[in-house]
Amino acid sequence: MRYDSVTDVIGDTPLVRIDAAVHGLRNIDLYAKMELFNPFGSVKDRAAWTMVRHRLAGAAERGETVVELSSGNTAKALAVIAGMHGLPFRSVTNRMKVPEIKDLLLLLGAQIDELPGRSECLDPTDTDDPLTRMYHTVSADGGGYLHTDQYFNDLNVQAHRHGTGPEIIADLDGRAPDYFIACVGTAGSSTGVARVLREHDPAVTVVGLVAGKSDFIPGIRDIDEVHEVGLFDPGVYDTIEAVSSDEAIDGLLTLVRRCGTLAGPTGGGAYQGAVRYLRRLDAGLTERRTAVFIVCDRVESYMSYLRERRPELFQQPARAHSLRTLTGGDLAAARTLDVADAQEWIAKENPLVVDLRSPFAYRALHIDRSINIVDDLFGEMLHGGLPFGRSQPVLLVCPVGEKSARYAALLTRMGHPDVRSLDGGVIAWRDAGADLVRD
Amino acid sequence: MASYLQPRVEGDLRSILENRALLHQVADALGSPLNVVLPDQLARNVQGFRDVYRAHRLSGGIFFAHKANRSRALVRALAATDAGIDVASLGELQHALGAGFTPGRIMATGPKSRAYLWLAARTGVTVNADSTSELIELAGIVSAYGLPRVPVMARLSGFASAGTNVMTRTSRFGIPVSRLDTLWAVLDKHQDQLDFLGVAYHLDTVGLPEKATALDGCLHAMDEAHQHGLRPRAIDLGGGFGVNYLADGSQWEAWTSELTGAVLGKRSAVTWNGHGYGLRNEGGTVRGTLGVYPAHRTTAGPAYLDRLLSTESVTQRRGLGSLLLDSLYDLHVEPGRALLDQCGAVLLRVEEVRDDLVRVAGNSGDVALEQHGVLMDPILVPRSARVADEPAEAYLMGNLCLEADLITRRKVLLPGVPRPGDLLAFANTGGYLMDFSAGHALMQPTARTVAAYRGGDGWRWCLDEQYWPVAGREETG
Repeated sequence: MRYDSVTDVIGDTPLVRIDAAVHGLRNIDLYAKMELFNPFGSVKDRAAWTMVRHRLAGAAERGETVVELSSGNTAKALAVIAGMHGLPFRSVTNRMKVPEIKDLLLLLGAQIDELPGRSECLDPTDTDDPLTRMYHTVSADGGGYLHTDQYFNDLNVQAHRHGTGPEIIADLDGRAPDYFIACVGTAGSSTGVARVLREHDPAVTVVGLVAGKSDFIPGIRDIDEVHEVGLFDPGVYDTIEAVSSDEAIDGLLTLVRRCGTLAGPTGGGAYQGAVRYLRRLDAGLTERRTAVFIVCDRVESYMSYLRERRPELFQQPARAHSLRTLTGGDLAAARTLDVADAQEWIAKENPLVVDLRSPFAYRALHIDRSINIVDDLFGEMLHGGLPFGRSQPVLLVCPVGEKSARYAALLTRMGHPDVRSLDGGVIAWRDAGADLVRD
Repeated sequence: MASYLQPRVEGDLRSILENRALLHQVADALGSPLNVVLPDQLARNVQGFRDVYRAHRLSGGIFFAHKANRSRALVRALAATDAGIDVASLGELQHALGAGFTPGRIMATGPKSRAYLWLAARTGVTVNADSTSELIELAGIVSAYGLPRVPVMARLSGFASAGTNVMTRTSRFGIPVSRLDTLWAVLDKHQDQLDFLGVAYHLDTVGLPEKATALDGCLHAMDEAHQHGLRPRAIDLGGGFGVNYLADGSQWEAWTSELTGAVLGKRSAVTWNGHGYGLRNEGGTVRGTLGVYPAHRTTAGPAYLDRLLSTESVTQRRGLGSLLLDSLYDLHVEPGRALLDQCGAVLLRVEEVRDDLVRVAGNSGDVALEQHGVLMDPILVPRSARVADEPAEAYLMGNLCLEADLITRRKVLLPGVPRPGDLLAFANTGGYLMDFSAGHALMQPTARTVAAYRGGDGWRWCLDEQYWPVAGREETG
């Protein structure tokens, strides 16, 4: 396979059968449309490319900025495409809740504008919300923007009508599947694919999946939010069902661990929602049926999302010399000094004074001749062993003397003979009128 | 039938609202509308914030934003705790001093008149300045009257974000962080008059990223202050921690869905004249943003503060609470609404019931649900016990002869059809919702009216209410 441009690689994604041993459906063949194989990693590559390809040359001439209200994959694809054509890209959103995606977009050179939150003291006369105002700015002719407007742009639907949908039919040997299940984000892929499938076979059942209202699955809208999408037409779907973030993660784990499909939460939600829907029909079927769902994007960008909701998935083996392993006995054995004693000890023994606060705070004011190792970093160092010799007396200080006491206990347990903690911390030191310096 | 929006009612407030006989007795004696405040609850709410301070090992003041409610009882109850008070007018400052707050526990904020600045300087309360010109004026007063140095904080605005561009509504308060140099110059010049305690911000938003960005910006400003030889010791992050008004989040979700459906014409109206609360139907698509207070909030009050302090600084990759503690700074907060959670209720008597229109003895200024966009059902307190009824939907009309005077534009749901003489209790209205006409609440003077007339050799005047066409103006004898 040889291509002239990476954008030529967009589309023509494989349709892969999910092993019946995994989904447990007896009469239905379940296929995944592998949109994660698109070059920028998601189904949105198709829409992004279709929406801008004919406008890029003009935009470059006029020096326009590509702008989209996107919190994820559309922004990612547009950022890459804009960059390839020498255009800046700006994403406006109040929904970007996944930090990896933010970082990735920044890496791609995007500017991200986060819309302000709701007012705490409402101004009832303010009828124009920030999003509407933003819309007016970016949509004005000659305003310097190429606004792709994915929620209202019919090209978003066309990308799937001429791409994704026909590909599914071709891979099923010219037949439409009996069931098509898709999560609803911009409604572009579900609408475009559904139209082609229905033209081919009006009996196709189309299932739209949305998120529960107080829930959050990246890439899926909730049942109210879909009404804010210009492309959303309830007539497209035979049924709309909600999936929870819990189900989406269950589905993701099945796809990732058992199907070799490194799907993100949207794909996971589509799989789990599909199986849940199909299982209700499966037992009553007498002939074989086919179902297709879309795997929208890849798992790698959602690690913090998964860690927040399922911390047990990331269980690390216990590390040596950890604060968490301290016992009451260890803590009782830690030696502490009050400010007066500490001053005397410093004058007499010249211990190494380690300030565990942030470098920022240390820079502002600290105990003279102390060194700064921020607590997180200090904790990391200790996993590997003692960071100073046993003959070197050490005084640990932190803001209130609590963390330093724990580290003193740990160091003592690790075999350091003379480590102490400043009781009451730097705050007590300051309040006692002892000297703090700024170098 | 639309969804209930059952108010969240707890503890003492629940207890008193269940006391039907007492409520009717007091409303009969004092009339409708009637506000009931619960001062004891305020002290418990202060404790809730203090617990968050303790968990983050932070010290500093919890300053009640007086403007949230002008009750004497609440302020006097607060004076008996370890909390401070944030006053925003001359009247509020006088009130706080009179209620027993010593100057060290008072923070003067808001737009300031000369008289307000003078009394603040005279008594030595902390002045939280909005601008450098305010600091200069204060320094002038201190110097002219030979007063001791006044503790001051500087409110900042226009914080720059790192990484993503966190947008914030433009504020008319505060010194832009891009112009800190002028602040340092003023503080340097007036160091004999002004004792600089630190910086402050107050953003009108429920958005955590904006507040985190601002707190991060304050930490940097404090660092800059150190570089200018100042020794600031506190950051004041204002208020806006919110209150959760509803008992059940699923009711809120159901109702907002019903509103969306109604705006799209898919169901019957749930608001007076199909009002959309900011949502509108454009060709079958919902546009606009729901312009109401998020009445059900999973994180509000002390829990919101806790989350803010646990949020990592984008520039320093460490929790904001840890950074405050590391820097040995005191944390000041100025919650209003959140400290008055469960502290009060407004009672309105039912006057007339006409189909789904219920007229009450009181108006939308007496319980400012509509002004603050807070949506919730009232609690029906019947005059006499009655058997279970069918739920009833109703629009609540006020006692003003104005089409606009609806207690709430939302159609409320009641457990039964109310009857004249019943009371409707609006729960949890202590913060901003009770008797909130901004001028009164802030103890700002309202306009007096004089009648001017010609008499003798020129203009004469008297107070509006003292004017009579006959009073002493004819020459007799």
